[in-house]
Parts: sequence; structure tokens; C-alpha cells
Amino acid sequence: MMTDVFGGDLASAVRLLRTLPRRRQDVGQAERRVRAWSAERPALAAELVVDEPPGTGQVGYDLLLAHPEGGTVAISAQTEDGVPWLVDHSTHWAAGQVVSVDGIGLSVPAALYALRALGARDRTVHEQLADYRILLSEIDGDKEPVGDAELREAMDDFRRRRGLFSRERTLRWLEEVGLPEDAFAGFMETTARMNRVRARFAGEPARAYLREHADELAHARAAWVTGRDRAVIEEIAGADTAAGLLDRAGRALEERPGRLRLTTAAGPASELPAPLRAAAPGRVVGPAESEDGLLAGVVLDRAAADPDDPAALAAAADAAYTAWLAGRRAAAAITWHWL
Amino acid sequence: MLLIISDPRDDSVRMVVRRLAERDVPFLWWDEAEFPERTVIGTRLSGEGWRQSLTHGGTTYDLAEVTAVWHRRPNPPSAPSVADPSQRAYAEQMARQMLQGVYELMPAERWMPARPKHLARVDNKLLHLRRAVELGFTVPDTVVGNDPGDLVPAWRRSGGRLISKALDFRPFFVDGEDHHVYTTKIERRDLAGRHRVRHCPVILQPNLAKAVELRVTVVGDRVFSAEIDSQSSRLTSQDWRHYEDLGVAYRPHPLPAEVEKRCLRLVDSLGLSYGAVDLILTPDGEYVFLELNVSGQWAFVELRAGLPIGDAIAGWLTEGRS
Repeated sequence: MMTDVFGGDLASAVRLLRTLPRRRQDVGQAERRVRAWSAERPALAAELVVDEPPGTGQVGYDLLLAHPEGGTVAISAQTEDGVPWLVDHSTHWAAGQVVSVDGIGLSVPAALYALRALGARDRTVHEQLADYRILLSEIDGDKEPVGDAELREAMDDFRRRRGLFSRERTLRWLEEVGLPEDAFAGFMETTARMNRVRARFAGEPARAYLREHADELAHARAAWVTGRDRAVIEEIAGADTAAGLLDRAGRALEERPGRLRLTTAAGPASELPAPLRAAAPGRVVGPAESEDGLLAGVVLDRAAADPDDPAALAAAADAAYTAWLAGRRAAAAITWHWL
Repeated sequence: MLLIISDPRDDSVRMVVRRLAERDVPFLWWDEAEFPERTVIGTRLSGEGWRQSLTHGGTTYDLAEVTAVWHRRPNPPSAPSVADPSQRAYAEQMARQMLQGVYELMPAERWMPARPKHLARVDNKLLHLRRAVELGFTVPDTVVGNDPGDLVPAWRRSGGRLISKALDFRPFFVDGEDHHVYTTKIERRDLAGRHRVRHCPVILQPNLAKAVELRVTVVGDRVFSAEIDSQSSRLTSQDWRHYEDLGVAYRPHPLPAEVEKRCLRLVDSLGLSYGAVDLILTPDGEYVFLELNVSGQWAFVELRAGLPIGDAIAGWLTEGRS
């Protein structure tokens, strides 16, 4: 009897599966139909699995059903839609291409090699991609709907960082990067969920991190010069005092504009170039290797971060989040498939 | 004069043209897409015989003076000035027909890979497979056709390692986007789409284990063999032509003399002066024929394996010139 009922459900499931819309944009409609069908047969615990192969607007489905005697039955159905085998197994012309310029494509491996070849500083692009994947996994189980305020905050932050201050400019930017508006909305929802991960480190975790990493979060003011010419950097680093270093840097910049970069900064010590992070105030450092070439610099002053200062706490939350992400990355098995 | 018929952006032609210039050999690099819009071609029968001329870029060329033709990868004739689409298609078909005739009447004996009409006759994967078998090549068990009932038995015979590929290369559109067919591994769940085979013939072959893949380029009576370490990359392990992977090594590969001779005979027996033969070397050391590409690309083989194929093409085109 139980099997007869299941047989009827199975026939009904096949009919349902064969009539589900197969266009990518209609997946939501297919899911709603399956939910409605499933609601009438809760014992089947029906689930629709959607396969969205790249480079085509078509999707594939499997329908999973619980069998009355235990286990799962998976149904897949390919209708007679008149699409030849070879067409069904074809590849989009740009599969494997990141971008085309003047009609000539740049392949994913070539792009990744190029990024890797750009220098140590640009390793972060690879790290960012790995981090994005880690965060996607982190939010995988997050079913809490994204609220309007969260979405607005994600969108405002995204626009602010790219100078997209009007709807018109945003739309133009989307067109330039080839991102459809609805895909952008989905991207922002994902970003909002990722922001929730970041938000876990605010409040008490930030205070705890600040206590444990007081040195790296100390507020520091610093000035440094970077360049490729060792003789020039050595000359600047030969100064005895901060004032002397700034004076020599100023002269060198006048003589070699474009060859040197002078930077002044105030903020957490952890954000300074590596050679300056632990340097005592007033002591001239250099020449030292840095991500931007040779460096000569000085920490002007350094003060312990105030645990009641919201800015210091925000910096601590950021640092805690970054450290957590770096730890996850270090522990992860990362495989670059296209390299 | 040499006539090179190909797309003006063809990098392979550029590599040969450089060599021709070094040898001070006059040539015209022309694309069929120029005809009839920007090129005038005339054929006239008079008491003295046929006279054919091609006028392009303000210069008129006597086609009787062409000593060799490299018919590489031209774009089809194009008549964009004809406004009505059906009339434009008609004009372009007439232009194609005209070119076929002009090529047949040209006295030049040296054509690479062959006169287009002959090429159309011999450029067929079934014919190539049969000829390869006749010449003693090892060829994988092959099923070609549109019988859905062939799919599962072929998959079973291959031990679940079956590939499908197309009889010809021709782009088409899916959702308005260009798509191509490469060699594709057939997964178990793909078998549920067996009815699709009915709509269009397909080549089914077992997916043989490979030590390396080989691209053997035949130019006249010269053979250039390069091995492609396609198995070192997940991208290229199925079909190295599918994805570019700069990490995959290409190097010259000395072929056993009998395999080299078979490649030469295969190309020659089809009346071709050029052919790119794809072979695999199995882990057991057996050379297996996969396919012949009558206009296969060679520039990447020259660049990455260091084989002087462009020199050989330039040499073949200019051979016998006084």
C-alpha cells in the first residue's frame, strides 16, 4: 500500500520535473512549484537540486525524495527539447576567458599568471579571491533574511569606495564591468551577509583583541620614503632625527620627482610598513626592504590605544577579523585550478 | 607571385610573411571577405585562352602569374552593400561560386593545403579515420552516427571512459552566444540525454589513457612533431585545444620512423600538402591516431616547441621559383 502511494507520488514527481521551467531566471518559479508540490507530500521531504552550468541560460534539475522504506530516490529528467547532443555539450566561446580586448581574449590562466607576475604587493589579489571563497563558505548556513538597512549599508559602502555617488554612475559602472543589475543586487546581499561575519568581531571580541595586541594597535604617527635607488634611500636613512629625515627626504624629492614617494600616516601601528611597526619613536629606520621597494622612515610618536575610543575599537575589530581570515586562509587547502 | 588567402589578422600568416619578405618574394595577402565589396575579380575567355585578374587596393594582379597559393583561413565572401538580406545572401553565394571556379582555373600547381574544391572533398573525419586504419595506425574503437541506442553500449564498452566529439568545427549560438564543441568526457548522468544523439551525428570514442599528446605538423615532405604535456594540467587533460594553459610544456618529440612515415603518407594520400595530425602516446608506448586537421594551427607549436614550421611553409610556397 505504502509502495503504491509512493508509485503515484513518483509519477507525479516525474510530471512535475518534466514541466519545470529550465531558464536560469525561472529557477525561483521552479522552486516555488516544488515547494507547493512538496507541501502536499511532507513525508517525501522533496528537495530540488539545481545545476547551473556556466555559459548557458539553461539549468538542470534533480528532485530528491525520501523513500518510504528509507534512503533517497533522485529523479532527473531530460525532456525532448530538440537540442542536439553536441550542442548540449558545447562550450561558450569565452569559457576560460577573463576579458577580451579588441576581440582578443585573455585567458584565466594568463590573467592569473599576470597577477602573480605583477609583484609581491599584488599577491593580495590572490588572497582576496581565496578570502572571498572562505567567506562564501562561512555564510553558507546563514538563512536569516538580509534586512533593508543591512543591504543599504552594504550598497552605500560599496558605492562610496568606488565613488559611485549617483544611480546613473552606478549603472554606468555596472555596464562597464558587465554586471547585470539583478546580479549586482544578489552580490550586495552576499556582501551584507559577509559583513555579518565581520560584525562578529565588534564589541567584546574587539576589546579582547585590543588587550592582547596592544602594541600592534597602538596609535602611531609616522613618515617614510620609498624608492628603488639604494644610494638615495641610504642618504635619507643617514639622518639622525625625524626632522633630519624629513629635511633630506624633501631635498631628494625636489631632485628626483617621480622616483621617490613620501608618505605620512596616522593610525594603528599594524598598518604601517613592516620595518616601522615595532620601531621606537624618533629612531630613523632604513634602508629596509618593504612592499614598495627600499624604505627609510621614522615613527614620530606612538600612544597606547584607548579601549574606550570607538575608533580604536573599530580598528581592533578590523584587525581581529583580518587575523581570523588570515588564519583560515593559512589552514585552508587552496588549489589554483587554472595555474 | 604568391597568393595568401586568409584573415588579415592571421598571426600564422604574419609569421610566414616575415620570412617571405626576407627572401624578397612578392606576395599578395588577401581575404575572400574582400570580395565582392572591395575586390574586383574578372575571368575572360578569348582566343588566347582564359585570363583571370584580381584587382585590390588599386593594383591589378594577373592570376596566371601566381606560382603558389596558401589557402589558409579566409573569411567568407561578403557583400554588405547589398541591403536586402536575402539578396545579400544570394550575392555572397554567387561570389563563393565564382571563387571556386577561379581557383579551379588558376594554373598554379602548388596549393597549400589543397585547392579548396579538393579540400572540401577530402576534409572529412570519417575518411581520415578509414585512411589512418588503412595505413596501419592504431585507431580507437569508434562509433559515429545519430543512433541514441549506440550511446550506452559504447559507454559500457569503454568502461565508463567515453568521449564525444564533432565531425566538423562550426560555431553556433546558444542563447545568442557563440558556442564551440570540443572533445567532452561523457559522465554517467549525461547518458540521460541519450535521445539528443538522434538530432545530430556524433563521434564516440573511448577516452584512452595518455602519457603525452602529440601535434604532428606535416609540411610537404617535412614532419614536425611536438609533444604536449596535456596531462600535467586539469584544463588540458581532455582536449588541449580547449584552454590555453601557459604551464603546459611543449617540446619536440622524435617520432619512430614508421609513425613519421604514416603521417606523411596520410597527408600525401589525401592529396594535401599540409596537415596537422593529432596523436596520443599511451603509457604503454603506443602511438594512437586521433584526427587530422587539414588547416590546423601550427604557430603555437613553433613558438612553444621551437619547431621551424613557418620556415618550412615559406620554403614550400617558394620551392621551384626561378
